[in-house]
Amino acid sequence: MTTFHSSPLQRHAGRFSRLISTVALIPLAIGTCGLALGLVLSGLALVGYPPLAIMSRWVDGSIGGIYPLTNSLADACPLLLTGLAAGIAFRGGVLNIGAQGQFLLGALVAVGLSTRWLIFHSAPPVIILAILAGTFAGGLWALLASILERYRSVPIVLSTILLNFVALYVVRAILQGPLQAGGTPAPQSPQIAPAYWLPELIPFTSFHLGIPIAFVLAVLFYALNQRTTFGFESLVVGLNPGAARLAGIGVSRKQFLLMFMSGCCAGFGGALQVLGVTHFMTGSFGNYGYAGIAVALLGRLNPLGIAGAALFFGMLDTGALRVEESSLALPHAVVNVVKAVVILLMLLLSAYLLGRKLRTRQVDPPPANDQGSDKP
Amino acid sequence: MLQLTNISKHFGPVAALDNVTLSLRQGAIHGILGENGAGKSTLMNILFGLARPDTGKIEFDGRRVRIASPVIAQRLGIGMVHQHFKLVESLTVLENISLAAVRGLWSPGRRELIGRIRIWTDRLHWNPDLEKPVADLSVGQRQRVEIVKALCTGGKLLILDEPTAVLAPQEVAELIPALRAVAAAGMAVLFISHKLAEVQKLCDRITILRKGRVVYTGSIRELDAGQIAEKMIGARLKIPHLADHQEPPGEAPRWDRGELSPPRLELRNVSVRSSHQGAWLLFNVNLSVRSGEIHGIAGVDGNGQDCLVRCILGQIEPVDGNVIFGDSSDSHRKTPGINPRSPLGCIPEDRQREALVLPLSVQANLMLKRYHTSPFSWMGLCRFGRWRQRSAELIRQFDIRCPDAQTPVGMLSGGNQQKVVVARELGEKPRIILAVNPTRGLDVGASAFVMKQLLAARRDGAAILLVHSDLDELLAISDRVSVLYNGQLQETSWPDASREQIGKMMLGVA
Repeated sequence: MTTFHSSPLQRHAGRFSRLISTVALIPLAIGTCGLALGLVLSGLALVGYPPLAIMSRWVDGSIGGIYPLTNSLADACPLLLTGLAAGIAFRGGVLNIGAQGQFLLGALVAVGLSTRWLIFHSAPPVIILAILAGTFAGGLWALLASILERYRSVPIVLSTILLNFVALYVVRAILQGPLQAGGTPAPQSPQIAPAYWLPELIPFTSFHLGIPIAFVLAVLFYALNQRTTFGFESLVVGLNPGAARLAGIGVSRKQFLLMFMSGCCAGFGGALQVLGVTHFMTGSFGNYGYAGIAVALLGRLNPLGIAGAALFFGMLDTGALRVEESSLALPHAVVNVVKAVVILLMLLLSAYLLGRKLRTRQVDPPPANDQGSDKP
Repeated sequence: MLQLTNISKHFGPVAALDNVTLSLRQGAIHGILGENGAGKSTLMNILFGLARPDTGKIEFDGRRVRIASPVIAQRLGIGMVHQHFKLVESLTVLENISLAAVRGLWSPGRRELIGRIRIWTDRLHWNPDLEKPVADLSVGQRQRVEIVKALCTGGKLLILDEPTAVLAPQEVAELIPALRAVAAAGMAVLFISHKLAEVQKLCDRITILRKGRVVYTGSIRELDAGQIAEKMIGARLKIPHLADHQEPPGEAPRWDRGELSPPRLELRNVSVRSSHQGAWLLFNVNLSVRSGEIHGIAGVDGNGQDCLVRCILGQIEPVDGNVIFGDSSDSHRKTPGINPRSPLGCIPEDRQREALVLPLSVQANLMLKRYHTSPFSWMGLCRFGRWRQRSAELIRQFDIRCPDAQTPVGMLSGGNQQKVVVARELGEKPRIILAVNPTRGLDVGASAFVMKQLLAARRDGAAILLVHSDLDELLAISDRVSVLYNGQLQETSWPDASREQIGKMMLGVA
C-alpha cells in the first residue's frame, strides 16, 4: 500500500492490481466504520432515533439494488472529478481551492453550448464540443489564479477562493440574462434537448456515459503519478521546490500546467454533471467543488484513494435521501449533522491510521552510521 | 552577576558548545568573538531560553537558574536584541514596547511605561517620538527601539546579537556610546560579534570561542588585532582523515602557473546590488576555475557568498559583468540551474531545503538529476529497473548507509543525507563542481568523506569552486584561495601566503 508520502514511485507494475483494491478500499472501509460510529454517537446525542434502523436504511438506500447503486455512482462522479482536481494540484504544491468555481463555469459553458449556441442535427459533435469547451473553461478559470500569482503575487489560496464567488455570480448573471429559460424570473437555464444528453448505459437509471470515463480517468491519473517523469516532477515540485529547481525542473511552469489540468478536471466534472444528470442549470448548483477537497484529502491525494473516497461520499449522500424519506422521518438537518460527523470521523480515523503506519515505518539507521563512513 | 559553568550542547554528533565557562560582572561590556559556527548563537540561545544546555549550570545573581523559555529569561531581567528586529512595523514605538512589557494578563499603565522608557532614553541621550510608527524609523533608530524595549522589560543583562551587521558606519559610531551609557547605568552587556574593530572599541573583556570551546577569556587590551584573529581562526589543525588520503605532493596535479588550461568557469567583473538598499552585495568580482583545480573561496558568512553562488547558478542576474562557462559546447550563457544537462554539479549549502526531498526515497533522490534522461526514462515513462540499478551502484560507490534504496531520505543521518547529495552531484562526473559549505553540520568522518570525494573529482579533471567558511578544511584541499570580504573578492598567494594573513583578510584587518 502506498501513499504519496511514502515514496510511491518505486512500487511496480506487478503490484498494480493489488494496489487498486487496497488503496481504493481504504476510504470505503474507514467510511463504513465512520458511519457506524457516527450514527451511534449522533444517535446518543439526538435521543429518540434508533441508530441501527437508521444505519440499515442508510446502507440500503445507497447500495441496496440497482437504482440506489447507480444513483450513488452518479453522485460520486462529480465528486471524483473535483477530488481529482484538488488532488493533482495539491500534490504539486498548488493549493487550488477553486474547484467550485471551475466546476460551475464548466457546467455553464456546457449548458450554454448545448441549449443555445450550438445546435446541430447530430448529437455527438454537440456533446463532445460542449464537454471539451466546459473542460477548457474550467482550466482557463483556474489559470486566472496562476496568472494573478505570477504577475501580482496574489496567493493562489486566496484568489481561487475569491474567484469561486466571482464564478457563482457570473453564472447567476448569465442564467438570468442570455441563458434564462422562458417563463421564470429565477436564474435557470432552459433544459437541454434529450438528444444531447449523455447516453444512459443502463436504461432508466442515472448511470450515464460520464461515470465510467471519470473512473478510467482516475486510473489514468494514478498511472501518470506513479509511472511517468511528469508525475515524478510534480511530486518533487510539491514536496520541495528548492530541490526541484536545483534539479533543473521549471517549477513555475510546472505549477501553471498543474493548475490548468486541475481546472480542466473540475470543468469536465461540471460539464458531465449538466449533460449527464441535471440537464439544466440553476443558480445554486451543488457544492461539489468544496466537497472535492475533502474527498481529495481523505483519498490522500492518490487518484485511486480519491475514487474510493468519492464513492463513499456519493453513497453517503444517496443513502441520506432514503433516510429522510423513510418512516423514521429524520429531519434534513439531522441527516446533515450525521453526514458531517461521519466525515469528521473518517478524517480522524484515517489520520490516526496513517500516523500509526508512519511510526512503524521509522527505521533506525544501522549503528555504524555516525562514525563508520571513513574507514580507511 | 552571571556565571556559566561547564556548559555543553550537542546537536547530533556535533558539539556546538563544549565545556564553556563564562562570568560577567555588573556594568561590564563583555564581547564574545568567534567565527561562524563557533557556538556564539547557541550560547545566546541558551541564555535567552531558546535552547537548553545538555550539561552545565547557569547562575544569575548568585542563584542557580533554569532558563526554560524566553519568558523566564525576561522575568530574570535578561533582554535580547536580535539581529533581525522583532518589531511590528505598523505599530508605534510605544505600542511595540508595551507589547513586550505585558506579563500574563497584566500590563503596565501608559504613564508608568512612558516613565520607564524616558529613564532609558534620557540615559541614551535620545529623544524619540513615541507615537511614531516603527515603519517610519531608520534601521539605526529601530535598533534603539529594540534596545530600549529590552532594557524596559529586562533591566539587568542586555544581549546583543551581531548588532552592527545591519548598521551603516555612522550608526555604529552612535551605538557605541549608547551601549557605554547602558553599562554605566549598572547593566551588564553581552556583545556578540565577529567584527574585530568594534569589539576593540567597545568591550572591556572578551571571550573568544572556536569550535564550541573557549580559547581565550580576559582583558582585550592584552591582545592585538593579529593575536585575536589568530585565536579566532585557530592554529592550523591537522585533519587526519584527509592527510591520509592526499596524494604525495609530487603526483598531485597542482595547478601549474606555467601551462594554463583555459578556465572552465569564469566570472568577469560581476557586480550585484541589493534592490532595496542599493548596497553592493558583490562588487567587481573576477574569478576563474580551471580543470583539475580546487579554487577555494574563504570568508566569514554573509560577505556575499550566497550571492556569488546564486549568480553562478543563474538564480540572480548580475547588474554588471558575465558568468562564463568555458567549454566550447556551452559557451553561450545558459542557466545551468534550468538546463539539467548542464555540466555543473552543485552541493548546496542547505541540503534539506535545496538538495533533497526528504519524504522521498534514497533512490528517487539519487535520480533527481537524471530521471528524465536516457536510459532512465522512455517516452516520458520512468524505467524503474534502471533507476534501481543505477542507485544501487551509487549507494555502493559512495557508501551510503541505508536499510534499502526505498527508505525515505529523511530517515537517514545527516552524514548519509549529504552522501546522497554528493553521490547525485558528483556521480555523473560533472566538469564543473560548485560546493558550498559541503561539510556543514557533519561529524569528522563524514566531513572527511565529502572532502575526499572532492579531491577524487579534482583528480578526474573537474573544475571545482569551493565556498567554505571552515578555513582549515578549505586550506587543506584548495589549490588556490581567494577571500571574499564585504562583497569584494581578493585572490591570495596561497600556498605562499600564511594562514594568518588569510585570516586577517577574512576579518578585513589586513
